[in-house]
Amino acid sequence: MMRAKDIMTREVVTISGSATIAEAVNLMKDRGLRALIVEPRSDRDPYGIVTETDIVYKVAAYGHDPKKMRVFEIMTKPCITVSPDLGVEYLARLFANTKTRRAPVVKDGLKGIVSISDVMHKSDFAEKPKTYFELYCEENPSALEARMYDD
Amino acid sequence: MLTARDIMTADVVTISGSATVAEAVKLMKEKGLRALIVEPRSDRDPYSIVTETDIVYKVAAFGDDPKKMRVFEIMTKPCITVSPDLGVEYVARLFANTKTRRAPVIEGKLLGIISISDILNKSDFVEKPVQLFIEDRIDAAREDARTICAAKGATAPECAAAWDIVEELQAAASHKRQAEA
Repeated sequence: MMRAKDIMTREVVTISGSATIAEAVNLMKDRGLRALIVEPRSDRDPYGIVTETDIVYKVAAYGHDPKKMRVFEIMTKPCITVSPDLGVEYLARLFANTKTRRAPVVKDGLKGIVSISDVMHKSDFAEKPKTYFELYCEENPSALEARMYDD
Repeated sequence: MLTARDIMTADVVTISGSATVAEAVKLMKEKGLRALIVEPRSDRDPYSIVTETDIVYKVAAFGDDPKKMRVFEIMTKPCITVSPDLGVEYVARLFANTKTRRAPVIEGKLLGIISISDILNKSDFVEKPVQLFIEDRIDAAREDARTICAAKGATAPECAAAWDIVEELQAAASHKRQAEA
């Protein structure tokens, strides 16, 4: 089974919540990114994310001046984070259930970012579709239902 | 004002609604695309779109076999379409209101596709933010000012403050007109 860490993008760019939207846009344009991660301010603080959707829906759509608005006003915080060991089938289900398209991969620090494009382009869901029953059997080889398939 | 035509991607790839999802995935991977357009079957038929979100949310998330599912089962039809002459600010507002991220640009035929990435990367909303409906806001502010001045008297500070708002909006509007010229 492929996992989040196998398909994630390791190069992640972070920004401060107090940066202006104009700074975020420049950074995204320069690096060709669709989202930036806002790192926690302390141990107890959650991760945040600001995406191109946030910027277009909340700033461009209203003609607000990006030089006068700040990232914390439009970011999603706390955002959904995923473990690097999460299977890509579960990742797709999590994204579908939460209407999410992109999430930081976190385990003892920020490891990467994973998006629906990564699922589309790098996972093997098209070649090897797995039903939930098959996934369950793969993860629990000693389960009765799984053993029935061994015969 | 930049229009949809100025920032759209003219290179669009279409697919048939009866193609399998596996074929759509292959085409999107090969061409590096996030969406494919399904062209109308007749004059009366609407445009539709199938995106990577549709494929991940409706196929990959359930472990369904993309070779056995077809595009028409997961596509959005009819989809929102945009005229090439629509201002970029209106495209952004339309996308925000309808929770859309991508739409075909149509005028008689398919001219291109426009997405929130095009707005972010190619439009000038950072350099020249444009407030929509500014003329309507000036009219509303002027009516407010007249009402306040009639109630409080022409020399009242509230009356002067209300007209200041009208003047500020007029200045913003003339700045906008200069930017467009």
